[in-house]
Amino acid sequence: MIMIIGGQFQGKTEYAKTVFGFRDEEILDGEKCDINAVFSAKCVNNFHKLIERILEKNEDPVRFCERLCGENNRAVIIMNEVGCGIIPLRKNDRILRENVGKSGCMIAKNSEKVIRIFCGIPEKIKGDLP
Amino acid sequence: MSGKMTLITGGSKCGKSTFAESLFSDFSGEKFYVATMIPSGEEAAAAIERHRKNRAGKGFATIEKYRDVGEISLPAGCGVLLECLGNLCANEMFCGDEIRFPNEKILDGIMHLKNVADRLVIVTNDVSRDGILYDETTELYKKNLSELNRKIAEMSDCAVECVFGIPLIRKGNL
Repeated sequence: MIMIIGGQFQGKTEYAKTVFGFRDEEILDGEKCDINAVFSAKCVNNFHKLIERILEKNEDPVRFCERLCGENNRAVIIMNEVGCGIIPLRKNDRILRENVGKSGCMIAKNSEKVIRIFCGIPEKIKGDLP
Repeated sequence: MSGKMTLITGGSKCGKSTFAESLFSDFSGEKFYVATMIPSGEEAAAAIERHRKNRAGKGFATIEKYRDVGEISLPAGCGVLLECLGNLCANEMFCGDEIRFPNEKILDGIMHLKNVADRLVIVTNDVSRDGILYDETTELYKKNLSELNRKIAEMSDCAVECVFGIPLIRKGNL
């Protein structure tokens, strides 16, 4: 598994396409894809949005990620880092932010590489850069 | 002669606490956990309970100190884990009717802990990278905490950023 993280609009998707050669149709969008399709997807973008949808279904995102790591351990997961700010005022926003953190820890633990993109520049967080 | 000091930073739920606790696994002296979170409300109580459970069996004596960490009396040569600076800064700033500027006081308090402890680990929060401009008071809090983080990183032998559970050494050696 490979994880690509970073702030918004830093070039994460572009990096995945360039380095791993994904075509647009191979990249699922976590905001609107069929949730079960991620278990066989090559690449899932906006994974933090998928976590929001899992929470809306009253399911545990960390468990979901644990299953994903077991069933699709070759996937490339792209997600935003959302935890480096002020604690949100709304409870649901706080729950989402915490679950993105915990789910990300689960994916990172099971990934051979974690790459952070900043201004389009990749930084190795875990494993060597591809 | 003061002991080794390490600062641990990162966003929400990125494994800071677990990593901080692991830095004491080989420490044979007395260990103290300085808890700065005020147990007000359901979520704070749940967070405190979660931290307590994670810490259980790791040999820390808990000292609840929401402000004035310079007043804590500790035996020389002990280990201290302070968690977290974000709460300490807020508690010192928003105490009473007027907003206070607590950084000098907090840094003096941290210096006191550093001088007495053989190993000091401080957990803080990275709060200024969501790009949102908040109200004046929150911005002041972000500014104070970020300044504290910079100064404490400077005082520290080692600074670590946790990213989704992975510790990245940003200064010195573990």
